[in-house]
Amino acid sequence: MSELLVAPPSPPSSVRVVFEDSVAAGSGAREPADTAFGDLAPDDAEVGRRFAAGDEQALAWAYQRWAGQVHGMAVRAFGPGPDAEDVTQQTFIAAWTGRARFRPGESPLPAWLVGICRHKIADTWARRDRQRREAEAALSQAQATPTGTPGPSVDSVVADRMLVLDELDRLGQPQRGIIELAFFADLTHSQIAERTGLPLGTVKSHIRRTLERLRSRLEGDGAALPA
Amino acid sequence: MPHCPPEQLALAALHEPLPDDDARHLADCAVCRTEVDSLRRAVDAVAVPELAEPGPTATPPASVWAGIAAATGVTAVPEGVPAAQPATAQVLPLRSRSRRRGVLLVAAAVVTGAVAGAGVTALVRGGDDDTRQLTTVALDPLTDERASGRAEVVVRGDGSRALEVQLDAPALDDEYYELWLIEPDVVDMVPLGVLRPGSQTFELPAGLELAEYPLVDVSVEPLDGDPTHSGVSIARGQLDS
Repeated sequence: MSELLVAPPSPPSSVRVVFEDSVAAGSGAREPADTAFGDLAPDDAEVGRRFAAGDEQALAWAYQRWAGQVHGMAVRAFGPGPDAEDVTQQTFIAAWTGRARFRPGESPLPAWLVGICRHKIADTWARRDRQRREAEAALSQAQATPTGTPGPSVDSVVADRMLVLDELDRLGQPQRGIIELAFFADLTHSQIAERTGLPLGTVKSHIRRTLERLRSRLEGDGAALPA
Repeated sequence: MPHCPPEQLALAALHEPLPDDDARHLADCAVCRTEVDSLRRAVDAVAVPELAEPGPTATPPASVWAGIAAATGVTAVPEGVPAAQPATAQVLPLRSRSRRRGVLLVAAAVVTGAVAGAGVTALVRGGDDDTRQLTTVALDPLTDERASGRAEVVVRGDGSRALEVQLDAPALDDEYYELWLIEPDVVDMVPLGVLRPGSQTFELPAGLELAEYPLVDVSVEPLDGDPTHSGVSIARGQLDS
């Protein structure tokens, strides 16, 4: 598919890979998305269906439409720079490699991408937390002065957060949508009922059951409940 | 008055205001408050603004798509994203020396997946008849470092492999440079040895799968007797497939 050319040592990147087809594709500057596709652009639901089916063009469309949202979240969490870029990149890679778990009929693709982005942000926090504890442990070991503090332990909120996000992935609809509106959009139960068109009582009982389920997961620490 | 209905306690856990009767009962009832607190643990775990619904959008740099394309093998190109980025020649973001520990994992995780499926294969012939040059990688400096260089994987006539490294960097006093090959997800790394400015050749262990350790990394190591990576990298490049 490609030919590797070794460039002289002077340029900053001395290895160049030339993808013949991508060079061809990139040779003409195209118009921005909205005007370029015109009638050819499928609607968001169609992009979701094709994404789930493994249509590579759907990944490009998804990126084109929702990378801004995802990256906006990443930048909000980490500021512009490598950490945010990593989160965005990992979100789309994980979405693509995990596309078999995406159910186009259940939730829109952008909502699913945002859910993955939350995981990647929480993962980054957990990694930093781990590194900080390792560094502190190394430091106190190096100083060889017993401080009386116990060894590194996982920050409990960091761990809770990852368990909650993981359990949300296991929820079906409409439970997941309801609790996400409560958690992340900060809507009251009556606003959620309005937004979703579900009866107030249904929303309330789903919220109750979901919070119980999350509590069991947190207190049982890992015992996955059946979906 | 009886305890609050379970649904009301769930709403209280979400910080919704309750009807007056329930609110009054809750204020006085330890049983109901304990219930709210236990339900609230999950609520509070994710109640941080960073995880809230997306706000303002931000346009990622073209390198982000390049990494996605490299990791997934997808050749379709989003409109508005430059297509002909040499994705596999991507150089990692580099970190400042002042951030001593723990930066390595973060820095290198940026290209996790970007080299999925990478396999170093003989693509370029160079040198004399006996030695084939496999691939070359630029070692790019930190923004505030003067270190840079270049590394070449070569295969000799007997099948043994070596990494020929040219490092341009200032001499160090109480520290030294060390050369590493690192996994994309930076769990494992192979130390190749002490490196000094100039040209040097490092033997590559027979059987070492270069595709698994595509990151060529130069670290600054303190003379502390600790054989692990200091977390301080001054130059780095990524071997291509």
